[in-house]
Amino acid sequence: MAGYITRRFLGMILLLFLLTLTVFFLFNMLPADPARLSCGKACSPQIVENNRHRLELDIPPIEQYQRFISGLFFGRTYLADTKRPIECEAPCLGYSFLRNSDVLSLITRSVPATFWLAVGGFVVWMAIGLTFGIISALKRGKWQDRTIMGIALLGYSLPSFFIGLVLLFTVVLWLHLLPSPQWVDPFKDPVRFLQTMILPWITIAILNAAFYMRLTRNQVLEVFGDDYIRTARAKGLPERTVVVKHALRAGLTPIVTAAGLDLAYLLGGAIITENIYSLPGLGSLAVNSVIASDLPIITAITLITAAIIIVANLVVDLLYAVIDPRVRIS
Amino acid sequence: MLRSDAWMRRALALGATASLVLAACGGGGPSATPAPPGETTAPGETTGPEPTPGDEAKRGGKVTILSFNEEFDDMDPQRVYTGEDLAFFGATIMRSLTSFVYSEDPEVANTVTGDLAVDAGQPNADATEWSFTLRDGLTWEDGSELTCEDVKYGVSRTFANDVITNGPTYAIAYLDIPGPSDADAEAGWLSAYHGPYDGTGQELFDQAVSCNGKTITFKLKQPIADFNMTVTLGFSPVPESKDTGEQYTTRPFSNGPYKIEEYTTGNGGHLLLTRNENWNPESDPIRKAYPDEWEVLFGIDVKVIDQRIIESQGDDAYTLMYSAVQPENLATVFDSPTQPKPEFADRAVSDFDPYARYYWIDTNKIPNVKHRQAIGVALDREAIRNNSGGEYAGELGDGVIKPNLGNQYAPTGLWDGLLGQPIPDNGDPEYAKQLIAESGEPMPSITWDYPQTPVRDQEAAIVIDSLSKAGINVQANPIPGGQYYGIVFNDDQAHEFGWAGWGPDWPNASTIIGPLFTDEGGWNLSRVHDQDFLDGVKDALTELDPAVQAKKWQDLNKLAMERMYVVPTTFGLTQVIAGTGVAPTYQWAPYGSWAYAEIYRKPAQ
Amino acid sequence: MRQPETLRQDHRVAPEPYLTVNDLRVKFPTEDGLVSAVDGVSFSVTRGRTLAIVGESGSGKSVTALAIMGLLDRKSAQVSGEVWLDNQELLEMSDAAVRKLRGSKMAMIFQDPMSSLHPFYRVGAQLAEAAMIHRKLTRQQARAEAIEMLARVGIPAPKRRVDDYPHQLSGGMRQRVMIAMALINSPALLIADEPTTALDVTVQAQILDLIGQLQSEFNTAVIIITHDLGIVADVADEVAVMYAARIVERASTETLYGSPEMPYTLGLLASIPRMDRERTDRLDPIPGNPPSPLRHPDGCVFHPRCKYKDRVPGERCFTERPELLESERDHLVRCHLPAEERRSIAREVLSTSVGGGAVAVLGGVDGTTSSAQVAPVGGPA
Repeated sequence: MAGYITRRFLGMILLLFLLTLTVFFLFNMLPADPARLSCGKACSPQIVENNRHRLELDIPPIEQYQRFISGLFFGRTYLADTKRPIECEAPCLGYSFLRNSDVLSLITRSVPATFWLAVGGFVVWMAIGLTFGIISALKRGKWQDRTIMGIALLGYSLPSFFIGLVLLFTVVLWLHLLPSPQWVDPFKDPVRFLQTMILPWITIAILNAAFYMRLTRNQVLEVFGDDYIRTARAKGLPERTVVVKHALRAGLTPIVTAAGLDLAYLLGGAIITENIYSLPGLGSLAVNSVIASDLPIITAITLITAAIIIVANLVVDLLYAVIDPRVRIS
Repeated sequence: MLRSDAWMRRALALGATASLVLAACGGGGPSATPAPPGETTAPGETTGPEPTPGDEAKRGGKVTILSFNEEFDDMDPQRVYTGEDLAFFGATIMRSLTSFVYSEDPEVANTVTGDLAVDAGQPNADATEWSFTLRDGLTWEDGSELTCEDVKYGVSRTFANDVITNGPTYAIAYLDIPGPSDADAEAGWLSAYHGPYDGTGQELFDQAVSCNGKTITFKLKQPIADFNMTVTLGFSPVPESKDTGEQYTTRPFSNGPYKIEEYTTGNGGHLLLTRNENWNPESDPIRKAYPDEWEVLFGIDVKVIDQRIIESQGDDAYTLMYSAVQPENLATVFDSPTQPKPEFADRAVSDFDPYARYYWIDTNKIPNVKHRQAIGVALDREAIRNNSGGEYAGELGDGVIKPNLGNQYAPTGLWDGLLGQPIPDNGDPEYAKQLIAESGEPMPSITWDYPQTPVRDQEAAIVIDSLSKAGINVQANPIPGGQYYGIVFNDDQAHEFGWAGWGPDWPNASTIIGPLFTDEGGWNLSRVHDQDFLDGVKDALTELDPAVQAKKWQDLNKLAMERMYVVPTTFGLTQVIAGTGVAPTYQWAPYGSWAYAEIYRKPAQ
Repeated sequence: MRQPETLRQDHRVAPEPYLTVNDLRVKFPTEDGLVSAVDGVSFSVTRGRTLAIVGESGSGKSVTALAIMGLLDRKSAQVSGEVWLDNQELLEMSDAAVRKLRGSKMAMIFQDPMSSLHPFYRVGAQLAEAAMIHRKLTRQQARAEAIEMLARVGIPAPKRRVDDYPHQLSGGMRQRVMIAMALINSPALLIADEPTTALDVTVQAQILDLIGQLQSEFNTAVIIITHDLGIVADVADEVAVMYAARIVERASTETLYGSPEMPYTLGLLASIPRMDRERTDRLDPIPGNPPSPLRHPDGCVFHPRCKYKDRVPGERCFTERPELLESERDHLVRCHLPAEERRSIAREVLSTSVGGGAVAVLGGVDGTTSSAQVAPVGGPA
């Protein structure tokens, strides 16, 4: 097992390295010219050239990449040949001249909102998804099942901006049950934090819970036909134990896979939900950077998102081993 | 003051709501007057005209501004260049030598008065030299004295066009400093002086701008009659010791009644301004500084902004919008483009924005004036306005000077016979054919450049459709947002005509006619080089009598229309609404903005 | 156990049955109609004794077992009749009350030990769970019991094996674990549904021996359900043969093998492979197929496959459903043939095919899984 983890970990490092390479050169080949974009109306070729130099776009891509990688580990200095050099300390993910800030601090600032949105939403949707999925499975074919699955289908088919806007307009703007969402640090103002986050969590939960309700229901029902469920009943276990301890555990693998990856994607930023509720997360940072063709930020966010997904994949695989002894002991 | 790349960025940030921008910038509606607070009362309304509270009662509390933007383009006084930003920062943290007057009356508001300076400036006899004397007791936010040198240093930063980008460049255009040498120009410098960071040509700047005690004197290349308006834009002081160059734009040093407490960009970010305890109210006749705090919240969905302010629940009552009312909410708030519904009478405004929309026509590529006229005559301007929002979008324009510019506007009669006969709003293809026939030359095939949005794709179809009825062969060339102006200013890449919009930098048509039709002005998309016209511009610029100057601008506007340098499309209207708890809500004429310096929270009933 | 009143008078009176099934009927409503899976089955088993229920797939033997255990979903199966366990009627009891009896007073082991053990839990935990649900035990006590039970069912190194997962054990071992799990609460009734079908031939006998051995140890009433008459002879005291949801013959093992009467039983006996023949080379297999459970034939349900129906006068086999009647003491037969006729047919068949009635115990496995075709298995499936 230890060997397996080590192998997977090394593989992950290699993958991340290849990823930086790919992302870096991919974005370098984009037609958008950052040097031209940051040039005003009186845009002479010389200004573009100056900008290119400032943005360090006038050196060969391979050297840009080297600087990027070495910046990650040792930091780097922008505008080194001017009177106002800009220090970017390790780990330096780049510097955004459009925002006049190093990329890492921009991202660090965006992480808390995305993190809390993702984790909170995840908890809510898993709780809803698993609970109602199980109820639905137990009441298979009954009105409870049909109602839950109907709602799931609805939640599944509604776009998130619609759910988000409907929630925001009804709960906040019409019924005034909650104050207008405004991001605050959860440790500074926990009440306002919860007031702000409850709707985004529900928005994300509705979207995802629908899928997990169906998945859980189907998994439980599939497992219900298995012989060891009959064994569990023959032992005299109460039905709840049978479902939760035996059926759900056996059907958990695909749920864990999906949940792990969904959480990972969410940690990369939930663009629409962040936008509707004005949350300063990675998703909105990414979108605005794409609109502004702010390459250093786009590169960094792409790398981070990909890294999260790679890590999530590893975690999910390790969770398999935790869940299923047949994986870890052969 | 339209900085079009900023507008482009906004339009892009809006994405699907590009129609909003069009609605806001689209065209001209019936002349709308701001609803004066308390002037009319709906029947059955119990509140009635509110008595204006006393100064003390107005003080205190926080006023919130909801913005769909993710950040301010710039906060650096030498780089701020969009109307609402100029008004907001001008009222809070960024004072200038002079300021426009706060008044509901546009005629009054469009005049300047002393701000940092004791008066509106003293020109010499031919207006080639202007002096401003600073007031006593001016301070920075750290309590240190604001000096003449600080003003001079601030002005010098404009010349550092490698660092101070995107800002107004009137200092470079007007101050008596030689232009760049060929080598400098090659390197991208706009002047022989390279600004305080590089330092090259410092002596040239010192000669042009000098401090004598509290008096700063500017020497100009040519007579500028309204230079005291020019100094509202980019002439604010910056203390050299606090200058952080490129970074200054994220934390400028305040000399106004507020200072920056916290600034975070992006969705959910905010700008929090708190009182600058070192601001001396005695030194400031302009700013009332009623609220204790200002907070700008970024990244709020435009629909949410509308709804929060319409509902005005709780703290949302003390809220202003940094955007315009969305088209879908106009019917909720307004009875007509001129008339808010009674319940919104004291807080909703429909007024001209500063911008005129037009199509430039490249006079090099289409030198025959009859050909240019044929384009204007054939164009279905009615359909174009309807496409961008109808009568709420504005009214059909007859020039590049809008009626809200007071006495500098006079109807040009462009569509009422100036071109030989009246032209209907939906175009006159037959008369256009006739003009082409009279031109004696075949009409060339032409291409219309435009920055692409879904709404403008439809506009392109209208252009093609209406011009082809007159037998003109037109193609449309959509250009990705953000690159539009870069391409159409490039002679090799630009086509024959295209979309544009412009608003004056200050309420003088010098900032319209000059930029639009002279190379020095920097926005000459029409590539106008007619000597008689350029002479006329120079003549008007140096005219010192405002009334005479106004007449000259009127005539030049009319001449530009007759020669069809541009086809005017719409004079844009904008609709805005404030929360129930803030006043006054009139639109301040110089920037078509809220009157930030006078805004207060209404005392609780 | 309550003391029977008769004990004082007559020591030779048989002890009261631990399980008595009276007129058990199970019907499954389906889209195509009502499926009658068990139709009027009655039998009883005493502690220490073994009843074998024998029949083809779909004959209703597994459904009978599940009905006794209360493992049929009450919503999808209509169960009627009486099931008396230790003087308690189970069908009238609440689900919760029956659940408390399951695993404590009655236990069941299933055909496929691989799929019947939860793959994600250690065998020790699965055993301990069974013990702890019915008795107040600490985790340590339960674990100690689990180890002890593993030892008793013949698992080598039980202290180590207790922490194994099912996939780490061989098929025979797993079935031993299943048995250990079933017996950990010393139930008085054990139902073994095809306990050896999925196992290697060499392991089959060991498992049956083990069941027998533990039975005498715990004094358990055992029901063995099988499609294979061959394995029954050594372990069962009594045999009930089921065909199309009904018991068609019931007798002591000795009687059933020595003098079977029902033609279906004869067919089954005749089809037991003999040691001196190739396995596939079956003699006299019963021609035809069991009837559709949706529509049992009128008259004797076996008549479409019966070679001897012509010997019954008139149309009785086609029109009149035969009763399960006592042919001789403790020997019940469901057949229209006269008793004498049946006995002579039996003598005739056995002498030719099985050789003087000597039953070959080690029967082959025909590969069909009898319980797989029995529809719902308790709860939503």
